[in-house]
Amino acid sequence: MERLPAFELKRPASLAQAIEWLAATPEARAIAGGTDLVPNLRDGIGAPPVLVDLSRVPGFDVLEVRTAGARIGAGVTLARLASDAGVAAALPAVSAAAASIAGPGHRSVATVGGNLCVDTRCVYYNQSEWWRKSNGYCLKHRGDTCHVAPTGTRCHAAYQGDLAPALIACGASVELAGTRGTRTIALEDLYRDDGRAHLALEPGELVVAVVVPAQPRGAVSAYRKARARGAIDFPLAGVAVRLAIGAGGIAAIDVALTGTNSRPFRLAGTDAWVGRAVDDALLAEIGKAVQKQVSPMRTTVTQSNWRRQVASVEAQRLVRELAKASA
Amino acid sequence: MNPEAKRPPPAKSVGVRQPLVDGVEKVTGAARYTADLAPRGALVGAILRSPVAHARIRGVDTSRARAMPGVRAVVTGEDCAIAYGVIPIAQNEYPLARDRVRYCGEPVAAVAADDAATAQAALAAIELDLEPLPAYFDAKSARAEGAVPLHESKPGNLERAVEQTFGDVDGGFAKADLVREHAFHYAEVNHAMMEPNAAVAHWDAERGRLTLHSVTQVPYYVHLALARCLQLDESAIRVVKPFVGGGFGHRTETLNFEIVAGLLARAAGGTVRLELSREETFLTHRGRPETDVRLKIGLTKAGAITAVEAEVVQRGGAYAGYGLVTILYAGALLHAIYRVPASRYHGFRVYSNTPPNGAMRGHGSVDVRHAFETMLDTMAGELGLDPFAVRRANLIDAPHRTINDLQVNSCGLGECLDIVERRSGWSDRRGKLPRGRGLGMACSHYVSGSAKPVHWTGEPHAVINLKLDFDGGITVLTGASDIGQGSSTLISQAVAEVLHLPMSRLTVFANDSVVTPKDNGSYSSRVSFMVGNAAIRAADEMKRVLVAAAARRLEVSPDDIEWDGERCRVVGTDRELGYRDVVTEALRDAGTITVKGTWSTPPETQGGSFRGAAVGTSAGFSYAAEVVEVEVDEDTGMVRVLQVWVAHDCGRAINPLAVEGQVQGSVWMGMGQALCEETQYLDGLHVRANLLDYRMPTIVESPPIDTSIVEAPDPNGPFGAKEAGEGSLSAFLPALTNAIADAIGLRLDELPASPDRVLEAIVARRRAERVRRAAKPAVQEAD
Repeated sequence: MERLPAFELKRPASLAQAIEWLAATPEARAIAGGTDLVPNLRDGIGAPPVLVDLSRVPGFDVLEVRTAGARIGAGVTLARLASDAGVAAALPAVSAAAASIAGPGHRSVATVGGNLCVDTRCVYYNQSEWWRKSNGYCLKHRGDTCHVAPTGTRCHAAYQGDLAPALIACGASVELAGTRGTRTIALEDLYRDDGRAHLALEPGELVVAVVVPAQPRGAVSAYRKARARGAIDFPLAGVAVRLAIGAGGIAAIDVALTGTNSRPFRLAGTDAWVGRAVDDALLAEIGKAVQKQVSPMRTTVTQSNWRRQVASVEAQRLVRELAKASA
Repeated sequence: MNPEAKRPPPAKSVGVRQPLVDGVEKVTGAARYTADLAPRGALVGAILRSPVAHARIRGVDTSRARAMPGVRAVVTGEDCAIAYGVIPIAQNEYPLARDRVRYCGEPVAAVAADDAATAQAALAAIELDLEPLPAYFDAKSARAEGAVPLHESKPGNLERAVEQTFGDVDGGFAKADLVREHAFHYAEVNHAMMEPNAAVAHWDAERGRLTLHSVTQVPYYVHLALARCLQLDESAIRVVKPFVGGGFGHRTETLNFEIVAGLLARAAGGTVRLELSREETFLTHRGRPETDVRLKIGLTKAGAITAVEAEVVQRGGAYAGYGLVTILYAGALLHAIYRVPASRYHGFRVYSNTPPNGAMRGHGSVDVRHAFETMLDTMAGELGLDPFAVRRANLIDAPHRTINDLQVNSCGLGECLDIVERRSGWSDRRGKLPRGRGLGMACSHYVSGSAKPVHWTGEPHAVINLKLDFDGGITVLTGASDIGQGSSTLISQAVAEVLHLPMSRLTVFANDSVVTPKDNGSYSSRVSFMVGNAAIRAADEMKRVLVAAAARRLEVSPDDIEWDGERCRVVGTDRELGYRDVVTEALRDAGTITVKGTWSTPPETQGGSFRGAAVGTSAGFSYAAEVVEVEVDEDTGMVRVLQVWVAHDCGRAINPLAVEGQVQGSVWMGMGQALCEETQYLDGLHVRANLLDYRMPTIVESPPIDTSIVEAPDPNGPFGAKEAGEGSLSAFLPALTNAIADAIGLRLDELPASPDRVLEAIVARRRAERVRRAAKPAVQEAD
């Protein structure tokens, strides 16, 4: 890894100041745990003159789990999220997702906000400056060709954050704060299916907190990620499911995916399965729906077809396991 | 109280589970590695690397870089016109490319500057004028008709072709009851040792002397290469190896950055710190080559091998390095594990536009062993034999001379087989596990040092000096490179054992060329065997000196002295003398005492007289048997290793703790290659030159490893010892794939068994079954 470029580190004591400083310098970047940003900077991806450290912003580390729902500050570390008993009880998918991210060292400093805003990844992008320059750069940074799909016009870098699908499946929203005030949007709307600009944030806008509503009665949730190794790795495909079973079969089902597209997304068409029993026929339909809606490209060293198949397998397994658990 | 009384009783050191003598520094963080050593104010070195895989160099314009403030030196291929390489007859690499670049990432120029930012800016200011040439990323295209040779003297890009036949091969196959032939493909792997490459070079301009600290396993070879490429007298160079964070073969030859550091220091007239990134360390490479193996084996009904024929093609990368040794090892080590009455070997080492390959743990033997043990397994199945039975049918009864003239003086493979068979519950459990779970087994072996040295100088293979001074402490001086494997500890144990002294009397000082004796370095698992023997002989000599002194003081004949380390006694009496008194007597008149022990391999172990016969020769072979239990997820292709049983014959475990560590490390490294590690190039650019995409197993994947030590003492080994650091690696790969076959009835023809490959094979099999089923009714209709 190369040395970091020179930058000025600013440490705002308030959210307003953080926003002001971020807005004042267009290339400024927010930094919390730095586990995503710093390796990229060392690889020569960007050279922000200012880094705005969010670690001292009051309220960023709030973590409240109540019967009415949960509020998770953007500055909560993944280690804390993963070890919180309240989160594990109310939002097991979120707890599992947090525990599965990177390694213990990363999780001790990496934050919820950072993980939600994690940069998209690609084998043509997450390389050294020498490598990318030798390859003529790429559409995501400094270049004009996406080497994954050279004839296309968009960047196919994949979103590989773990928390987002778990939170999306649990119906989470995010509170954003920027120069024009605050707003709350559904978490899935934070993302766009464009590897080069996957976050729908305005300049200077920050994720402040995640708000998760009370979970439906009887709902259970889980998260599973496919990867070559059982630790460290980003998800090659990740699936979160929230399922509630009632007297007449499925009362509610939400499926969200990561690692396969340029954004995490909610599986469409799940409403059609409400009222159905969880049986082989339904699982096959779920598997097909996942296969159809994911679009893994050659952005990882693992074959994209494997990612598609395993996303489908893991979705079916999760639904089956959750149905069994709630029976 | 007499301070002598506080000392522990005379120690028995060999066979004791001895924590490593340099372990405390490592676990407390006190150990200083090369990158920690640069003095304040050292210049920062950086290397400009080729952006293309193959090109003619029309020009390297460094004028802008040289003009930059803070730039102290710029060097290019112009600054060193002398090729180097570890094998004297195959030296074709320059520290900085001249005339041509042959792989993406090859060093082309280097700078030394006041700071890292200036160094990077200077690199960016160097302009390369390159004329692209066709590039070849696999052996097949490099060997194809009309391919441009990477090296003018090597048409067809063939670095070395080996043709060897021993015994009556055709007759052997004719005699066989079952003959099978199969092809396998192995991805390239890399050592991925923990410490990235670094060197600190200091040029003493007044005296014209160079001092280099580096991460090397072979300081002596680095010394020779520096003298050669910098045209310095060898005595004007000092090479120091500090603490090193692993090597596994990456550092068993001089690497380009070591010479570049020397060139930069001399050009800048000062001290240069050259630290390579993880990516650059991967690009320096020297890993196990991408390999194709086609193997043919003949067996009798009873499972006895009648003949073996192997074709091995290795994509060797852009330069020679150890290449010809690797391709020769692959053939030589078809032997010396089982009785092979006839063999034919076709080896092809091919140049390609990828980073140069080299030696890696299990050098040359690993991929071929996988093919061999896989076929033994499948053929045993066809013959209705248990996998253990087919190995037992071919065991070597030592002493044994192989048909390719390797001398096996000890072999504990039979005992290894018995142990892992019993401990794994093989006979009770094999075949009775639920679908998706399986047991597999395999064997492997390795040399304890190459009996013929790379550089033939006529010197002994190993030398140890012992220095005894007024304080009663003995300094063990060695050139053997401890890179974490525990050689300094082992040498201490050997000396302490002979002298009956506690190890607290000993201090090992290693790897400083102005102080320590020359040693060929840590490779081919030579150190325990060769340096261990030299240590015993040095200690014998020291004991002779001390016994003589005791006899003098006690006024008896040395034969009457009963030596017990901390004290000695006149036989049959209670007349004693303490160790310190013996030392005082020994040093009287003589002063500081230095003694020496040397070792050379016996001629009968140095192989035959055919071309390439020197490779594979060893004074002692280690053996291992392994059983692996796996669970295969047929929906995802994920393979989980549940448990490993391994038994390793190391002759004598001088340090059982270190032996277990080495054996488990070998198993674990074999697991990496078998399951998930591989390099990958896109148009010659290394895509996986980082520890996220070069997927070494994590602790989560690490299974319980049940380790047993077998001791079949070798008559030439120190206390009977043989190597322990490599022999258990190769067996893991076939044991794993044999276990996968047992679990789901599927055999991959390539490694690693990454989940995408496994799932692809499962899907292909399902498809084939569907096609077969669909085809059946049609056949019936035709009837």
